Amino acid sequence: MAYTGVMPSARSRAMVREARHLLFTVAPGAVWIVIFLVLPGAYLMGVAFMTNGPYGLPQMPLSLESFERLAGFGFLGWSPGNLYTLLRSLWQTAVSTGLVVLVAYPIAYYITTCREKWRPIMLLLVVVPSWTNQVIRTFGWMNLLAPGTPLSGLAESLGLIAPNMGLYPSSFAVTLGLVYNFLPFMVLPLYAAFEKLDTAQVEAAQDLFASPVRAFWHAVFPQTLPGLLAGIVLVAIPAFGMYVIPELLGGGKGMMLGNLVATQFAGGANWPLGAAGAILMLIATFIGLFAMRRIGKRLGGGEEVVI
Amino acid sequence: MRKRTLHRGLTAFWWATLAFLYLPLAVVVLFSFNAANSAASFTGVSLRWYHQLMGNEEILSAFANSLVLAISSSVIALGIGCLIGYGMYRHRHRKLGWLIVLIYLPIVLPDIVFGISEMAFFVQIHRLTGLLQPGLGTMIIAHVTFQIPFVALIVYSRFVGLDPTLFEAAKDLYASPVKRVVHFMLPTIKPALISAFFLSFTLSVDDFVISFFTAGPESATLPIYIWGAIKKGVSPEINAIATLMIGAVAIAAIMSLLFSRRRPA
Repeated sequence: MAYTGVMPSARSRAMVREARHLLFTVAPGAVWIVIFLVLPGAYLMGVAFMTNGPYGLPQMPLSLESFERLAGFGFLGWSPGNLYTLLRSLWQTAVSTGLVVLVAYPIAYYITTCREKWRPIMLLLVVVPSWTNQVIRTFGWMNLLAPGTPLSGLAESLGLIAPNMGLYPSSFAVTLGLVYNFLPFMVLPLYAAFEKLDTAQVEAAQDLFASPVRAFWHAVFPQTLPGLLAGIVLVAIPAFGMYVIPELLGGGKGMMLGNLVATQFAGGANWPLGAAGAILMLIATFIGLFAMRRIGKRLGGGEEVVI
Repeated sequence: MRKRTLHRGLTAFWWATLAFLYLPLAVVVLFSFNAANSAASFTGVSLRWYHQLMGNEEILSAFANSLVLAISSSVIALGIGCLIGYGMYRHRHRKLGWLIVLIYLPIVLPDIVFGISEMAFFVQIHRLTGLLQPGLGTMIIAHVTFQIPFVALIVYSRFVGLDPTLFEAAKDLYASPVKRVVHFMLPTIKPALISAFFLSFTLSVDDFVISFFTAGPESATLPIYIWGAIKKGVSPEINAIATLMIGAVAIAAIMSLLFSRRRPA
């Protein structure tokens, strides 16, 4: 191979050509994403470690001030406001994801029991509302839950809310909005799991005189677990970072992490604090994705879920 | 029979869930035809909010902005995403882990983090250089960024589904790479290109959070206009414009159903 330096062999020329081809096809998009997403993201992470300056803009020196403020330490001593927002985000995410599972599980099962020609239509019916704009859907709930509406009247007569209060704005309205928004994200992967269900296992359980509950728990549930976990990740990650729904349905007491982050940028209040909140959200996202990969591998399915 | 009771219960639950899913949309549609000014009571059918819509220049310009944004960003994303999709296919035997991470990044990033990092970045670049003034331009950049991965993945999966010997045959058939692209590649991936374009278009029209943070004062899209109107105090006009957008989705749903019927997958 002493000659390759002087006269490149056909093989190395082909390799150069392939490398150039890779560069030409992949570079424009890769560079685009690096410039317009990776760099801004890196900048935002940097901002989180800077000090808040005039007009909320970041300035030197580097500090952990914004993370301290996120934990509640401000100029006036410790106050629980930001921590409450964090805990509320976690709580809302957990409750709404749980409720979504409770609704989606029977729905996904029911669709698989229907005739095959109806199934695509039924799935479409579940998905279509999520094609409309999120702002419009949430606005629909504002109309439904406002004071003076039949639903609010019902809640009032049951003594669930104070007179003339309406069901929104409230934490309840946010939970409802989240469940509404994310239901299709759970139905689709669960449906896929139910459709592949191996019924021989269920029959075996029945032949062995397992009670319906035990048959479900040992023969059905484990088989739907990959779909369930995929659904939980698809629901919980975006729910934790939700901005629109708590902003419109939650009012001051329903604020979640997304709103805390957004307010720090919208009014130019405190960029470093907002950036610190964003980092928290990123950490939650990557923990979720990592957990999904690990669980997916352990279950042997290893399925990639792409929306 | 226990099984039949279970099935009957599930059927009832199914219809209740459907009602839950469509109730908010139905309320918006219903009140768009309300003669009264209030959202609390329905007093009669009228088209007055639709008439008002036609005369509202802010809404018309928001509509135009939405269209310009969706079309131009989808076209750019189609070009860039298509190249990546092909590159990923052709070099799939290499280690392209970094590229996969890069492509999934816009999909997995929470909207709000996506939106504010671009906004913060654009603001600083603008302060330093005067470039990237917030407006339709910055919105197009942001939308292209979240559309590229979807286009790339759709095009990539189309190429993967093809018989690899086709590429050899095309090489024998057409001497120049340009002819190969025009006569073989583009025609074969046409369905993927069409669905990638429509997906990009829908993602763009549907987006609120990322648009909201990258928009300038003159570049409000329909969702941003509606958001502003809701925040200012609910006007019945919102119901009318929202109904038109729901109508567009309903048409898209019916079309997708007819399309999938014709070619059972």
